[in-house]
This record gives sequence, structure tokens and C-alpha cells, in this order.
Amino acid sequence: MADSLRDRIQKFILENYLFTSDTSALGLDDSLLGRGIVDSTGMLEIIMFIEEQIGVTVKDEEMVPENLDSVSRIVAFVESKRKVA
Amino acid sequence: MPASLVDLLLTAVARDPGKVALRRKRSTWSYGDLVRGAATAAERLRRAGLEPGDRVGLLFRNCPEYVALLYGALSARLAVVPLNVQERASVLVVQIEHGGARMVVGDPDHPEWAALKAALQPDVGALEVTAVDDDASVETFMQSVGASPGQALESPAVARDDMAILLYTSGTTGRPKGVMLSHGNLVANNVTIIDYLGLVPDDVGLTVMPFHFSYGNSVLHTHLGAGATLLLEDNLAYPLIVMQRLQNERVTGFSGVPSTFAILMSRARIDEFDLGAMRYLTQAGGAMTRAAIQRMRELVPSARFFVMYGQTEATARLTYLPPERLDEKLGSIGKPLDGIEIEVRDLDGRVLPPGQTGELCARGPNIMLGYWRDEEATRAAVVDGWLRTGDLAHTDEDGFLYIDGRVVEMIKVGSFRVSPLEVEEVLATLPGIAEMAVASMPDELLGQAVKAVLVLRDGATLDEREVKAHCRVRLAAYKVPKVVEFARELPRTSSGKIQRFKLS
Repeated sequence: MADSLRDRIQKFILENYLFTSDTSALGLDDSLLGRGIVDSTGMLEIIMFIEEQIGVTVKDEEMVPENLDSVSRIVAFVESKRKVA
Repeated sequence: MPASLVDLLLTAVARDPGKVALRRKRSTWSYGDLVRGAATAAERLRRAGLEPGDRVGLLFRNCPEYVALLYGALSARLAVVPLNVQERASVLVVQIEHGGARMVVGDPDHPEWAALKAALQPDVGALEVTAVDDDASVETFMQSVGASPGQALESPAVARDDMAILLYTSGTTGRPKGVMLSHGNLVANNVTIIDYLGLVPDDVGLTVMPFHFSYGNSVLHTHLGAGATLLLEDNLAYPLIVMQRLQNERVTGFSGVPSTFAILMSRARIDEFDLGAMRYLTQAGGAMTRAAIQRMRELVPSARFFVMYGQTEATARLTYLPPERLDEKLGSIGKPLDGIEIEVRDLDGRVLPPGQTGELCARGPNIMLGYWRDEEATRAAVVDGWLRTGDLAHTDEDGFLYIDGRVVEMIKVGSFRVSPLEVEEVLATLPGIAEMAVASMPDELLGQAVKAVLVLRDGATLDEREVKAHCRVRLAAYKVPKVVEFARELPRTSSGKIQRFKLS
């Protein structure tokens, strides 16, 4: 479950911002902003992906680096939201 | 009028050295700190053998360290080349070589720093200064640059027309465009903007715009010139963090481009925050819809809303619309700033009457010296002291200006200019392409995005992802085509010229 979620998120970022399927190009703990992988609009697109493709609503107050700044953090955030739901 | 931005800073520090100048996360620099940091930077750059007139590149996200290095360099009578933090090393190195920078100072944590450092010519020095995020950041900075503190920051003995900042608006292997801004340009524009915004030492601004961008550069220097406080952010990826700072740090002024306000209005629940201290909002960098302006005014009723217009080639600002005329003249970019003349001219250079659309041309003390090492481009852009902006505009009967479009083909993503030729040059290095054209496409958030249309050679295969990946390693993310289409041929005029507008 976690692995497939992680794979989906990693794949989305790889394909849309690094344009590759090579998973070595994006470490699970790499900072998406710090490494310059996404900018402000990219982050909005990731949130749309989480909401529309994964089916988890991201509240405005949840848009913080602790939840979104790496693949691992996004996975942990989505899983915690699913548990609550 | 002061001779340089350094003189404005020295006036501010003399007024109140303990006043907070810059704050980034947990790092707070007073004016006294900033001046000490700048003096240390000046000493270090001189000791590296840099001489008046030399260029020094700076690669930093928005941070106090960058500001200290910039003012230090100006004090040492060097010209600063602020490097685009979103750009790739391969492009930056072209700009550094074109600009003839003798040294580059950068944050080793920047993702492109290692590649940039490795690509520099052996005679270009590289100095690493880490932007730190703690209470002792000034001392850390001074240790990091490795010069002895204590000497005072000197007012530079510069002439009005000495170059202070070299800002690259595009940088390709073909033709990098470096805008030469003089000390006189920067001071003149700064003083005028401080005046019409009414900036005072009690103001607290917050910027999310990068300092290599002329608007961000202007927000920085106007706040320091006024002796105000500027809070630094890099981006709007986390709108809530910005909103919390606006509220909790009682920010009085906030500047943005249309997409800045669009993001805040869509994801930040502005009405739930207390922004009662907000005195002004400024908007430039492209047209913002009337509905969006009205909505921002409703959400932040305490703020006067300034619509402004300008260009890097004019240092930053050429016109503004006085907030009290906003309802009456919504859609206008206002009137010229004090000391600036603007004319709307036809293709033959004749001044047009109100209501007729022509090219917006401007003259004043803020117009650039020219493009660095490109006399041909300079002659085309500045004619008899008048800057040809490339923007189409008209005036109304009251002399208010309205933008109608662009003369030259330039894509505006967010507020960053993207030259179609720059993207085409990168695409041309992909094998299998017979011909291609790059054009703009509408984008809901950013106004425009980049679109590429490719005609492949017989037998060649390429897919959209390969094309984007090729661009991504060679261009800043915002320049990478959002859409790549494949076509059998490109639309052309009878003379064979590609009709980009038909691709949009």
C-alpha cells in the first residue's frame, strides 16, 4: 500500500518535473523546493495531483513543508489523512 | 541626489543602526549588521584582486548574505551580476563569461552551484558563502567571507553613468542580453518609488520575488533606501507561511505579480488573517484582471493598491496608477513617474494622439546604459535617449496609459520574460527535428506558458517527455515547454516567416 502510493507520487514528480522514469533522479527525502525540482506553481500542481488522483483533500493550512517537501513527507501526510478518514 | 545606493544605505544606518533591515526565518540583520557585513564583503572582494569596474556574479536565494555582498561590491566600485536562482548552470556560465565576471560568489547549498563552479574558466574565482538561518548569521557571514571586520563601509566615488548592476534578461549560447544599470539609474528610480509609495522607516515589507528579477531588486533597494524593514521569502510554494508572516510581523507592504495574488486568493484564505497593518500592495509584471484587483482590494481594505508598469531596461519602474484613480481608470498602468517622459509612437517614430495604439517609448534618468557588449541591440532599443519598450500602448484623453500588447515576440510566464528564440536554440540541439517554433499559450495561473511545435525529420521519433527532459537540463523550469505538439508543417507567411501567433 505504502509502496504503491510512494511509487505513484515519485512517478508523478519524475515524469512532470524531471521528465524521466529513472527513480535514481529523485531521492525519497530530497527537498522538492531546495533542489529546485518544483516552484510555487509546481507545488500547486502536486496538490492537485494529491486531491484529484489520490483522492485526499489538502486543506490550505496543510500546505506546509512538513507535509509536502519530499516524496516521503507526502506519503506520510497522505497516509495520516487516510487514517483519520 | 545621492551618488549610489550605498549612500542611501549609509543614511539609513546613521539614522538608526539598531533598526531591523532584513529578516529571513530566524536570521535578523539590523542596519548596523548589514553595513558591517557589506564592509567585510568589500574588503574581501578587494583582497581577491578585484578592481573598480570589474564584475562579480552572485548566486543566492533571497537572503541577507546576498544583500551584504551586493552593497559591499558596490562600495568597492564593482558591478554586480545577480544570477537567476532558477536557471541551470549551463546558462549561468554563459552569462558569467559574457559578462566577463572575474569572480562568482554563491551558496554551496544551491542545487546548481557545484556544476557552475566546475564549469567556470580557471581565471574566474569562486567563493562559497553559506546562507545561514540563525541568530548569529552576521558573524557567521563575516567568518565565511574570511575578511576582518571593523572597517567602515565606504561611500564609493562613482560617476552617475558607472555601471552598478548587470542584469541578464535572457542568456543563451546565441545572444545573452545583459542590461547595464548605472548607479544613477538605480538611485533615480529608487528615490522616485520611495516617494510615491510613501515608504518610511516604520514600514515593514515582505518580498517573495527573487532579487535577480528587476522588480525584486527594486523592492529590496527601495525598502533599504527608506530605512524600512524587509522580510525575505523565496517563493509562494507554501502560501500559509507567507500569510502568517504578513499577519504576525505586522507587514505594511507587499508586492507581487499577478500570479502571486492569484495564488494567495486561491489557496491562502486571506480573509481569515488580520492584515490590518497593511498600508500598500503593489502589482507589476504584467496585466492583472480587473476582477482580481477588485477582489484583492476587498480582501485587504486597509491597503492602497498600486498598479505599476516598467521594465528591466528602465531599472524597474516607468509608470504607476495613483490608487485614488484606480476605480476611475481601472485597466490603466497610470502615468509616468516624476522625471520620466513617455510617448506613444508609430512605426516611423511619430508621436500618436490619444486613443491610437503605438509603441510605448520612455526617456528619463532610469533608462539603462545599454546592453552589455551588444551595441547593435543597444542601438535598436535606445534611440536618442528614448527606450523603445516593445510594448504597444495608447493613452486616453487624460494622459493615462493602457497596454495593448507586445511589438516583439516574447512570452511572459508569470512575470518572467522568455524569448522563443532561447527555447528554440535548445530544441535545435535535439536530433531528429526538421524545424520547430516556440510560441505562447494561455495559462490560467501564469497568464502565459511556453508551447513548442515540432516537425520531425522523416523516420525520426521523439516523444513529448524526451523533448521536455532535453529542455529541463538546459533551461530554467519556467522556460520548459508546457505543451509539445508535433506537426507536419509550420504555418508561414507568403515570405516564409513562421506565424507564431497561429501556434498559440
